[in-house]
Amino acid sequence: MSPPDLSAELVTLLPRLRRFARALTRNPHDADDLVQVALERALARAHQLRPDAALAAWVFGILRHAWIDELRARARSERVFAPEESGQNVGDAGQGAQAERLSVQDAMARLPQDQRLAVALVLIEGLSYKEAAHAMDVPIGTLTSRLARAREALQAMLGES
Amino acid sequence: MMTFSNETVMAYFDGELDDATRAALEVAMATDSDLAERVARERRLRARLHNEFDPVLTEPIPEQLLAAAQGTSAKARSGNIIWLKRIPARHWSWPQWSAVAASLILGVLIAPLLRPTGGPLGIRDGKILASGALAYALSEQLASNQTAEASVHLGVSFLSRNGDYCRTFTLRDKSAVAGLACREGESWRLEALAATGPATSASGEYKPAASSMPPVVEQSVDELIVGDPLDAKAEAAARGNGWRR
Repeated sequence: MSPPDLSAELVTLLPRLRRFARALTRNPHDADDLVQVALERALARAHQLRPDAALAAWVFGILRHAWIDELRARARSERVFAPEESGQNVGDAGQGAQAERLSVQDAMARLPQDQRLAVALVLIEGLSYKEAAHAMDVPIGTLTSRLARAREALQAMLGES
Repeated sequence: MMTFSNETVMAYFDGELDDATRAALEVAMATDSDLAERVARERRLRARLHNEFDPVLTEPIPEQLLAAAQGTSAKARSGNIIWLKRIPARHWSWPQWSAVAASLILGVLIAPLLRPTGGPLGIRDGKILASGALAYALSEQLASNQTAEASVHLGVSFLSRNGDYCRTFTLRDKSAVAGLACREGESWRLEALAATGPATSASGEYKPAASSMPPVVEQSVDELIVGDPLDAKAEAAARGNGWRR
């Protein structure tokens, strides 16, 4: 795809890219920074986009990589993860939810990264299982099992179980 | 009565059921109250997610992002990104390099580094290799033990999926480039190179490489790395063995 064509597609995708990033990190500035990195990488890697590939899945995959890089960089700099980024409260999410219903943002933030990505790609962005699995570099079976676990966890945390 | 798993209910909303299963589920919903409730719950979950995250769709898009999508952000203009894998370097001779060097990107970045003698990069057998002080630093300098005055700053070292050791570096002279090099025999082959910001902050203080590594270099690391970066002990051990496996 030529750079002008790709740019036009990226502009069209921008609202969805922002929504996807917002589902990964609740800080809107961090989310937009992620989108910016993803856009720059997508343009730099335009030559890697196969003509038959789903553009959205490709760009979402790039954004996912940018997010993982960001988490790694934070880990490297030994900054302590905020609980909402680490997913470390997952174990007790179910019990906590019965006492108080969590907001959707809180519930999403408590999911492990892989599950949060699956929810963001499929339930929020509406990618097909095939596209989402591609964006996450996992087999479809892995994607659907993450999705199923995430769904159960979200419903528990949102007081829906 | 036919039973449907939660996964099937989920797949129904995800549009992933075949026609027959979907039709069967829709029929069953009418009579199976448990199934109807599970379907309703799934529908509520999706509605809540969309209520939460959809408003961003209609927010005004920051100028900065529009510029980035069009490749005209300030960063993209000054970034001078080079991705060496994209350069068909095989069998290129010096005159060909000069021709390419006339183009903006290479002119800015590579030409000054390719001085015939003493520069940090050289070309051999169509590959761009580290030379001079850069090659020396890649072979000898430890990230865990380097001085602020060193002209080359080493970042992370790791084992690549190709089985060789790779190291990121930043040149802290006026060329202000950072890159990734991987061991090839006794040499270091350049995998990625990109412009960084100034190597020192306004106050003249040294900035650690991790915070100034250009995204393209980070991305190359991401594509090549197997496992975690070497820790100080493993880095020293790798040097001790001449960066051979």
